[in-house]
Amino acid sequence: MKLDELYITARLAKLDLGEKEAEKLSVEVSRMLEYFAVMEKVDVAGLDATVQTLDRGNITRSDVVSSLDVTGRILANAPETEDRFIIIPKVL
Amino acid sequence: MKIKENLDSYLKYVSNWEEKIGSFLEFDISRTKGMSTVEGQLAGIPFGVKDNFAVEGFNITCGSKILEGVSAPYTATSVAKLQAAGAVVVGKTNLDAFGMGSSTDNSAFKITNNPWDTNRVAGGSSGGSAAAVAAGIVPFALGSDTGGSVRQPASFCGVYGLKPTYGVVSRYGLTAYASSLDVVGVVARTVEMTKTVFDTMKGQDIKDNTSVSHPGSRNNGDVKKIAVLKIEDGSLSDDVAKSYLESRKLLEKLGYDIVEIELPSLEYVVPVYYTIATAEASANLARYNGLRYGYRSKNGNDPGEIMQTSRDEGFGDEVKLRILLGTYVLRSGFQDQFYHKAQKIRTAIRNEFDKIFELADLIMMPVFPTAAFKHGSKDLDPFQQKVADRYTCAANLTGLPALAIPSSIENGLPVGVQFTAPAFEEDRLFNIAKVLEKDFPSPLAPGTKNWSII
Amino acid sequence: MKNSKTKAKYQTFIGLEVHIHLITESKVFCGCRNVFGSEPNTNVCPVCMGYPGVLPSLNEEAVKKAYQVAMALNCHLNEKAVFERKNYFYPDMPKNYQISQFEFPFGVDGYFDLELADGSTRKIRIHDVHLEEDAGKMIHEGSQSKLDYNRAGTPLLEIVTEPDLVTGEEAEAFVQQFRQMVRYLGVTDGNMEEGSLRCDANVSINEFGKGLGTKTECKNLNSSRFIKKALEYEIKRHTKVINSGDKIIQETRLWDESSSKTSSMRTKESSNDYRYFPEPDLPPYWPETKFLADIKESLVELPGIRKNRFIDEYGINQQQALFLTSEKSMADFFETVVEGDIEDKSLPGTVASWLSGNVQKILNNSGQGIEESSLSPRRLLSILNMIKKDKISTGIGKKVLGLVFEADKDPEDIVKNMGLDEGPDESEIFRIVSDIVDANPKVAEAIRDGADKQIGFFMGQVMKATSGKANPGKIQKLLREKILTGPEKN
Repeated sequence: MKLDELYITARLAKLDLGEKEAEKLSVEVSRMLEYFAVMEKVDVAGLDATVQTLDRGNITRSDVVSSLDVTGRILANAPETEDRFIIIPKVL
Repeated sequence: MKIKENLDSYLKYVSNWEEKIGSFLEFDISRTKGMSTVEGQLAGIPFGVKDNFAVEGFNITCGSKILEGVSAPYTATSVAKLQAAGAVVVGKTNLDAFGMGSSTDNSAFKITNNPWDTNRVAGGSSGGSAAAVAAGIVPFALGSDTGGSVRQPASFCGVYGLKPTYGVVSRYGLTAYASSLDVVGVVARTVEMTKTVFDTMKGQDIKDNTSVSHPGSRNNGDVKKIAVLKIEDGSLSDDVAKSYLESRKLLEKLGYDIVEIELPSLEYVVPVYYTIATAEASANLARYNGLRYGYRSKNGNDPGEIMQTSRDEGFGDEVKLRILLGTYVLRSGFQDQFYHKAQKIRTAIRNEFDKIFELADLIMMPVFPTAAFKHGSKDLDPFQQKVADRYTCAANLTGLPALAIPSSIENGLPVGVQFTAPAFEEDRLFNIAKVLEKDFPSPLAPGTKNWSII
Repeated sequence: MKNSKTKAKYQTFIGLEVHIHLITESKVFCGCRNVFGSEPNTNVCPVCMGYPGVLPSLNEEAVKKAYQVAMALNCHLNEKAVFERKNYFYPDMPKNYQISQFEFPFGVDGYFDLELADGSTRKIRIHDVHLEEDAGKMIHEGSQSKLDYNRAGTPLLEIVTEPDLVTGEEAEAFVQQFRQMVRYLGVTDGNMEEGSLRCDANVSINEFGKGLGTKTECKNLNSSRFIKKALEYEIKRHTKVINSGDKIIQETRLWDESSSKTSSMRTKESSNDYRYFPEPDLPPYWPETKFLADIKESLVELPGIRKNRFIDEYGINQQQALFLTSEKSMADFFETVVEGDIEDKSLPGTVASWLSGNVQKILNNSGQGIEESSLSPRRLLSILNMIKKDKISTGIGKKVLGLVFEADKDPEDIVKNMGLDEGPDESEIFRIVSDIVDANPKVAEAIRDGADKQIGFFMGQVMKATSGKANPGKIQKLLREKILTGPEKN
């Protein structure tokens, strides 16, 4: 994979790669993609894609409010909070 | 904790072994004792849980710096069911970060060593769970299996490793790596324990819309005919090949109808697996960005930058590699040739397995081409480790249940063998495993003992 | 104002993406409360906070409401509906992917009958109706941004139109009529200020017959009025750019009400590749025949249809029908009153004018909707009946109406307790009439000579003298009698 392709992919994945890191990863990604190329040999005419391995009926949940309240624990895990808001530097 | 012997001796034993193998990231026998009922089928039984499961009272790090110090605000359904049956979570076990790896060396926090030889890996990604059970610290532990991550370490450590049918055990509370492949798995010392734990956990859960209720075996778990995969020369190490052949001979001796088969689709299972797994993983791991919990980088002036730096600094190399691969195969322009193609081949693989099950009750395959390899990738580099997933990842792609069974000791290391069954036929797996357990039960690694749990 | 140059040279294409926030008890994929205005991060749980290990669980009420809208929009309902992940990063996104629908939404290829200003209707094609989850909210303050995830995971229904609208005015009308429809269905409160109805617009122009042009997207359209203004601005801008030989840049633009302009958004998601793929955590949804039949049966009569029926069935005029059907609560109220005395053919007209006049005035002052007020259909009917039976005058009736609102009491009780029905009898009125006419001989003469309008002066005097209790019809009759007979001749 060309390095600029890797940077585009990294941007989509919100990964800030350093130069050395990018070079190393580029080699590893390329190796895997070459390996994936063996899939081109397979004839999949007439086959549907498998998204899930089980066929099941419709699954829905009743529209009721759950009484469990763990908001305190959730906020305790946040790096920075103020008056119950989670704080981050201003979005540009 | 209902241990027959002195509780202090037990804790000393644990401390001793933990120094040697480092299977737990957190260990505390009393911390969540109050969350387990005092009665039930598993009353008082201690167990370990892989650290990618949410368990209130413990952290959930997934073996990664990006989740260091995150306290679990809820408990996974599978764990809660075991607690309701009386079992007690005593600690969180080590893993390859986010379940990505075959050694547990990809953990950000510590190395886990194989109780049989501390220079070697315990396998991965559920290496901590397998090592803890093999060292006798707990009689069972939970792991997760996405491409073999419960079966391979179980095999490396000489214990049983079950991958149930997809959907039969709720995934709610198991950190997602690849949503359509992940299952909650069991590592245990005996077949009986494996089965009991599985039976306790199984069942539909509304919180997991992909879960189903188990319909039971169609034929009472009966096994008469076994399809044995033909092994090409050189595809297995000598030790594993020898053990595999002996397992086959034993089955013939025991009176099973054996038919040799080939699975041509095995040639494609690994690329198909990694395409689908990394694609789903790239989306599943997008939530880890330092904003709501976990590691937040000090570098970065705005949230966009902070997300990028937190992820780059928080994720390890293997995780980054898979996220990049997964993002790539979903990109517009590439999705057809990679992701969609892989999903169609996945159907072909399932069709092939279904056809074999028309003429046999079980399929026998190796678990992994070698026994436990040494730390540091000298034996097998990360790429080779991935290619070696070929025997295990087929069960994840097809959603079928599979069980790794200890089969022998070769040159001081345990070797296992794997059985795969049709969907919902776990009883057939327990059936064959019980028969073989009479001949060769899970061996005790030198210096380890089983504690008598009441 | 239409630019004649635009009209001649270019064709305009406007498409809308409308998001409505569905009314449900809980969020679409978890059991958190779905409500507006709570303290920050109080209606959150591990699922809608995107914690490790959580999974979505589909809310059946959200599905039901989605199908109600898809049906009301005459969509083809896909045999199988599939949820998909739309992948992008943003601080208000708990998972950094949104669960939405893409290839197989609940409904596709529908249409909406838009009523145009000239009274005609045109079918606006609906591309699709799909269900998705909302993101959290960010408040910017100084050097910080503050995140509140209460809204994250609440059910959103997105309705995408084809680019069939041609003016800002049409787009405004579409949003207003669409809003009315979804309020009728009871699936949303459609409150644009609170954000439960949001609208983005896509617009392009091109020479006639050349198809769609390069489009721009307009955001930050917080009212239907802004939609009209922003689109008119954009169309002008597009025209200017193309006339000068330049090309339109495909981009997203924000409407700024204070300057009345759109400006380019700094590229926050420049050419985002969303990498849609089917959501592995949610099975496909196959709507069953009975389920759909039940929904179809429960679909309320839509406003346009109801309006026309009111005109046909009750003989009221277009303006009255429009007013009565503007909100379902008002239309329901009207019909309940009318059904109280089905034989009286003049009743609908009376009720219509009372509702649009006296009642609406009071409601406007109090800011309430009719369903929240103390006036019930039975109470209104009671007032109208008392007037019909001459028990009280219309004027008294109006007073009683106001008192019903204020005191929340039945009108019969009010009239009884205040003695409002004890108006003077005929001989009493005649005596008052005589006194007043005798006291003003010149006016009486003027009226006899033909200055008929002056009778209003006498009317006013008599009304005052009877404290408004006397029946105006009676007063008129007696006045004429008295005036015609001339002054008392002794």
